[in-house]
Amino acid sequence: MLEQLLIFTRGGLILWTCKELGNALKGSPIDTLIRSCLLEERSGAASYNYDAPGAAYTLKWTFHNDLGLVFVAVYQRILHLLYVDELLAMAKREFSEIYDPKRMNYNDFDETFRQLRKEAEARAEELKKSKHVGKPVNDGKKQGQVKKGGFEVGNKKKSEANDGGDGDTGKSYKLENGHSNGNHVNIEGSRAVVANSKENASSNVGAFDVSKLQKLRSKGEKKTDTVVNKGSKVHPKKKITKKNRVWDDSPQESKLDFTDPLEENVNENIEVVGTDHGESMMDKEEIISSDSEDESEEVGKESKPDTKKKGWFSSMFQSIAGKANLEKSDLEPALKALKDRLMTKNVAEEIAEKLCESVAASLEGKKQASFTRISSTVQAAMEEALVRILTPRRSIDILRDVHAAKEQRKPYVVVFVGVNGVGKSTNLAKVAYWLLQHEISVMMAACDTFRSGAVEQLRTHARRLQIPIFEKGYEKDPAIVAKEAIQEAACNGSDVVLVDTAGRMQDNEPLMRALSKLVYLNNPDLVLFVGEALVGNDAVDQLSKFNQKLADLSTSPNPRLIDGILLTKFDTIDDKVGAALSMVYISGAPVMFVGCGQSYTDLKKLNVKSIVKTLLK
Amino acid sequence: MGWDRVRLFKRTKSSTIVLTGLTGSGKTVLFYQLRDGSSHQGTVTSMEPNEGTFILHSESSKKGKIKPVHLVDVPGHSRLRPKLDEFLPQAAGIVFVVDALEFLPNLRGVSEYLYDILTKASVVKRKVPVLICCNKADKVTAHSKEFIRKQLEKEIDKLRVSRSGISEADVANEFTLGIPGEAFSFSHCSNKVTIAESSGLTGEISQVEQFIREHVRP
Repeated sequence: MLEQLLIFTRGGLILWTCKELGNALKGSPIDTLIRSCLLEERSGAASYNYDAPGAAYTLKWTFHNDLGLVFVAVYQRILHLLYVDELLAMAKREFSEIYDPKRMNYNDFDETFRQLRKEAEARAEELKKSKHVGKPVNDGKKQGQVKKGGFEVGNKKKSEANDGGDGDTGKSYKLENGHSNGNHVNIEGSRAVVANSKENASSNVGAFDVSKLQKLRSKGEKKTDTVVNKGSKVHPKKKITKKNRVWDDSPQESKLDFTDPLEENVNENIEVVGTDHGESMMDKEEIISSDSEDESEEVGKESKPDTKKKGWFSSMFQSIAGKANLEKSDLEPALKALKDRLMTKNVAEEIAEKLCESVAASLEGKKQASFTRISSTVQAAMEEALVRILTPRRSIDILRDVHAAKEQRKPYVVVFVGVNGVGKSTNLAKVAYWLLQHEISVMMAACDTFRSGAVEQLRTHARRLQIPIFEKGYEKDPAIVAKEAIQEAACNGSDVVLVDTAGRMQDNEPLMRALSKLVYLNNPDLVLFVGEALVGNDAVDQLSKFNQKLADLSTSPNPRLIDGILLTKFDTIDDKVGAALSMVYISGAPVMFVGCGQSYTDLKKLNVKSIVKTLLK
Repeated sequence: MGWDRVRLFKRTKSSTIVLTGLTGSGKTVLFYQLRDGSSHQGTVTSMEPNEGTFILHSESSKKGKIKPVHLVDVPGHSRLRPKLDEFLPQAAGIVFVVDALEFLPNLRGVSEYLYDILTKASVVKRKVPVLICCNKADKVTAHSKEFIRKQLEKEIDKLRVSRSGISEADVANEFTLGIPGEAFSFSHCSNKVTIAESSGLTGEISQVEQFIREHVRP
């Protein structure tokens, strides 16, 4: 049974709700749908799950782009209703016939809808009876594709493998951490596959990897310090200390740990002059060059060969008169061209795909304005979508947050996380420099206790910037070091604590658990994911896995996720700026800083307009 | 996309009133109250602006020639903020809607948005008057407009300090507010900033209508 079906305008006015299904919806699923999904350019997805205390809903929607209407159906997730998509399509058809922009009241639609619902339910019953209840075709078995761990935090615990499922195919659907199509995850076991082209086409089915399956199964059963995984590092376990490798019978070497004990620092002769390299680029205005809009001509040439079939005259006529309703087939060539262009700019393939679907969903059925080509309509829609995604959802004014924390007499804690070699320590120093320029006292915490030289590196930066550093040498528990660092900062009155962590691969289970423990134990104000702009499709995997692990392995009910992104090595990529888009899309976190060089001043803010222009050039 | 896009030629004397504010403050409800005298069956988060040129509902019974008002309700969701820049250049007045009920939890967001608007070049140069409209005043626990005004002034004062060196990625705070050295007060703004109460749900919107009438030349 449907919980509710709503029809509203894109401007926000509700035109019609079904009065028969009078159930009040718990929480605010519609508003959440709009804010987390439709405005996030994920409208190409098949459904959206919403959890509120006391209810678990799934929402499906469809647009009527020409009239600017949205049709949303809400139903309980455990009832895998098969007729919803059909019902929405039929409702759309019927309603658009009676829709009048001046009319606000559509009570006569009640009757029409009641009939439609009966029809749809009846048809679904037929379908269920006639289908075999057997193993469905495993249409989702795409290896290597990543789920959207980033924005689906609620349904995590499914990953604890359910032993006792019937067969591998059953498990594959249950393992999906991200997007669960309400129709696929099935408790009772009846596997009627909805013949719905929209769902099959969307590329949101997660990876199904037998080795992962075994790993997860074993994880569920025992504490997995012993699970060996692809991580190339051998992380030293706490109980077993590292033994020196003995090559021959030579006598034991003396201790190889060369970290200076803290007392010796005082007597060093190295110059302690503080660095002042001038204004950090964060505070400089960015001069946007305004190129002429000659790209439209290039695009025209690309899409022209595809539309040759329709006949030159009719297409020109339509573009002038502007009467044609945009069909999906019309949009496809332009969208494909755009998608390829995005991919040449280093946007991850999956992201480009989803974006194009979202833009298609928002343009389908729309009337083409006069004197425009399809390609320019698509381009404009894509540009708007990109600006929307890259615009931060919340304020990224760190200085304001620091001041707020200062008022509460607490240090503002920032944790830098990321995979190996992206530039965490370097950019940490840059951020410290920038904060110092705004008269904020900073303290560094060396919680990378693994990599040789990490503590010395930070110590050098601290010396040059003349700020205190909290370190405990190597082979200590980073979570404890961080905790003590924060306490120390509260004592000595530092405004900000910048915590450096060791780089780790997103698949490395023990390391991710250690990171999650650090975040959970210290509850930082900002978890900054450091990613390099050179990364390609792996960005999607990195971010989603980091978010997923932070959510899974945290023991608190409200796990901390990645709050912001620091994009590094931006000066090395020329115009292939797509990594920024992939990262923001998959995680929803804004890009707070951009590292564009190796000296202290090379830290910028993300300029959304110039990135969008570069992406679509 | 909305209805009634009657913008055939550029107006030399603008009669556009822009309704803006944080998401959930009640702008769309106010829009429909002003237009039709009722909020119909309720609203959801707007994804697009609502635009219309009409005679205010309360004045539809008046006799004589009344000039229609061009009203634009700009979505408050942060992802859609850039839309505001499309409408500001033609604004004759801005109604900044504040949720008086959930005021304190959103205080920072509200003051940041208000600060951004008050420091935009198109607002400062043309001295666009701003009405801070404390909506949802019909609720018992809604804050009074005096309280809201004081809180906003305090917050904006703090923002002046932390924003003085920085420019945002897209929107530069092109002007600074107030008099340096003195606590900020809305009377320091070069454009007129007033504050009023309203209730979109019950239709208590007389102060908003008054503002609109004042600044749209009949």
